[in-house]
Amino acid sequence: MSQVAEQQLAQVEQSIAALLEGAPYGMDPGQRHQALLRLFKQELEYACQRSPQFANYVRHWPVSLSAAQSIAEFPYLPVSVFKANPPLSLVPAGEITRTLSSSATSGQVPSRVVLDLATSRRMTKGVVAIIRDFVGAARRPYLVIDTQENLGRQSELGARGAAIQALGSFATEIVSCLRPVEPGESALDVDKLLACSDKWKDSPVLVYGFTYVIWTQLVQPLEKRGIRLSLPNVHVLHSGGWKRLEQQAVTPDVFVRDVAATFGCARNRVIDYYGMVENVGVVYPDCERGYKHVPSFADVIIRDPLTLASAEPGRQGLVEVCSVLPTSFPGFLLLTDDLGEIIGHDGCACGRRGTHFRFLRRVPKVEVRGCGNLETSRARRGGGA
Amino acid sequence: MSDILSTIASPPEITAAARRLRENAASPAPAAVFDLFEQWAAALDGPGVREIPGVSFLRLWLRRGTLEPILARELGSEAVRGEWHDQGRVRLRAFPLGVVGHWPAGNIEIQPILSLTCALLGGNSCLVRVPGGLIGPTRLIIEKLRQVDRDRLLTDRIFLASFDHSRTDLHEAMARAVDGAMIWGGEDAVSQVRALPFPHWARVVVFGPRLSVAAMDFGTWGDPNQRSAWCRRVARDVWQFDQQACSSPQTLFLEQDGGTDPGEFFAELQRAFQEENRAHPRLEIEPALTSAICRARASWLLEDVAHRACFPQSADWTILQGKGIHIPEPTQGRTLTVMLADDLLEAVSRFDGTVQTLGLAVKDRRREEILAEAAGRRGVDRIVRLGQMHVFGSPWDGTDLIRPMTRLVRHGRSED
Repeated sequence: MSQVAEQQLAQVEQSIAALLEGAPYGMDPGQRHQALLRLFKQELEYACQRSPQFANYVRHWPVSLSAAQSIAEFPYLPVSVFKANPPLSLVPAGEITRTLSSSATSGQVPSRVVLDLATSRRMTKGVVAIIRDFVGAARRPYLVIDTQENLGRQSELGARGAAIQALGSFATEIVSCLRPVEPGESALDVDKLLACSDKWKDSPVLVYGFTYVIWTQLVQPLEKRGIRLSLPNVHVLHSGGWKRLEQQAVTPDVFVRDVAATFGCARNRVIDYYGMVENVGVVYPDCERGYKHVPSFADVIIRDPLTLASAEPGRQGLVEVCSVLPTSFPGFLLLTDDLGEIIGHDGCACGRRGTHFRFLRRVPKVEVRGCGNLETSRARRGGGA
Repeated sequence: MSDILSTIASPPEITAAARRLRENAASPAPAAVFDLFEQWAAALDGPGVREIPGVSFLRLWLRRGTLEPILARELGSEAVRGEWHDQGRVRLRAFPLGVVGHWPAGNIEIQPILSLTCALLGGNSCLVRVPGGLIGPTRLIIEKLRQVDRDRLLTDRIFLASFDHSRTDLHEAMARAVDGAMIWGGEDAVSQVRALPFPHWARVVVFGPRLSVAAMDFGTWGDPNQRSAWCRRVARDVWQFDQQACSSPQTLFLEQDGGTDPGEFFAELQRAFQEENRAHPRLEIEPALTSAICRARASWLLEDVAHRACFPQSADWTILQGKGIHIPEPTQGRTLTVMLADDLLEAVSRFDGTVQTLGLAVKDRRREEILAEAAGRRGVDRIVRLGQMHVFGSPWDGTDLIRPMTRLVRHGRSED
């Protein structure tokens, strides 16, 4: 690493640490914006030093780094560029300690991001700071609605494993309640679950699972057998999208109602959060008002699909997620394939400060309707000229 | 007055419509069709209609000066007069197939009309499935025909049907009811329609998915007096149909000359794109296309540090610049990849049948002929001047447009 890059990295790490030290939702929005503007600029400059490819992208951006007056003017990467192989990296291969991959549905190429030790640590700190604000700091039993294999440390980790392990800091003990039945399939270990329920009773408990896994592997089997747990002090966190549940006509309301009934807890203890592996260290749980909050070390911009300009609150657009936490890959400013809307830049009734937003849905795929082809070769389709 | 376009709920509605079309058996004489088309072209100028993408092409297409030579070339000059023509001891004349079904693509607003005019010129009646996204423009355009066609010479020979693309039963009913079919669109759509239960006698013509490419030699772009005009032509071809048509250029091969810097060309092309965008701004966009455009920009620049690009902050347009003779993955949405090539012939020689149209700007006539020959051998069906890539004409995709929907009847005289 060049001396310039080393100095830049040292400055960046110091600034990130300062942001991670504070309360995630306590900062004045104006101050936060100024701090992030400075930090993102430093990070982008550092990334350009480390990656000629990234520098090429930044060089062609319509607004130069020096001229940018707001975070919205900085060059962002579409999240799909992380589907590239090898994954985009700002560190030598020897410094990569872990690779995270997204939960691509069948036929799709998963995104992959590389983490070094420093980014891994910040990722954990970021997630812990956010979740602590929603469930409290105390350690407690941690029930994972998944199989044991997603609990272990692995150098290549999927989205489910990453989400499960990120919450490990809250655990006094970790129990997984699904057991593998055949390759790729799992089933609920009811006896194990009931034993935990008896043991933990009124204690605070943390539960995590992918949304559709909780529904199909826990709620439905228990409902079928008429079993209800009695864990009133549980917090059930879930993430991972609604697509599969929408196919079964399960609305968020129905999901929350039935999950709360299954655990015997209040509905506000079932918390959906939005996140993606590319946006390391940042998750967006729903507050009691139903909004997602941006922590001090991150930002969210909604971009008008036509102009790509930052949209005003209330206008729907593409979600750009911004995080200062990664330094091992250029994942600072990422345009997602999701649609959302900013609710406000401060003043949510839940008491958390800063930008809060609503996730709406994935960008619908465009049906290829026309005669214009996107295949450049007939050979790829098995034909010939 | 009944609705011009019928929303179909059940197969018998389609069967009944086809029966009515068959009952209007007598085809009007070509001269009457030309007259009506001329009047229709003139009527396509009102507010609302004028703004439909491609309607200016349609107006040109409907002119007698355009169609008469096409009819004469495909069916013989006597066909223009509705007469038999002698060929040795026999005489020949084209007759309509009957009812022709049309499955136009959903991305070109004027395609239902282009398709049905071809079949009408052959004397056929038309059963047209109008894709959901094209109902508005098609209705406006056909309404203009109805206004000029007071005797319903053509209007009664057209049935426009609207139904969901997933209604296989309705597609099947339509296929069973026709004597010929003109199918346009992407791979999936075309494959599905082709597999429908057409009668064994039905003639089916497919205009399937293709992409198009432009090429410019150094003699053209190196000429400072010509450069700007050619860049405007490139921009016009990219903008039409939002670069989603099979005739839309996705890549421009720019022939290099020694050490001449193409910087001036790119600056001029950028100005042309900006100007075209001012004249024809995009009013809406699918968020998925925005994502694809952003991905194309980023992937291109991250892939190779030698790659260059130029784009505004919005998703309006993108010029990607690289070097080589392959066709990069197209993005559409006004994203043109300019590939610097040492020799245009090398690039053309790698085509494999995917390329439909080659838009050329070549100064040397002999050289252009060599390129055209190579392109023809490598599967290209249209080789046209840059700036005219979308001008609809016959043949299209290597196929006549009118003749396939006719039967050529041979009469050998009994007394000879």
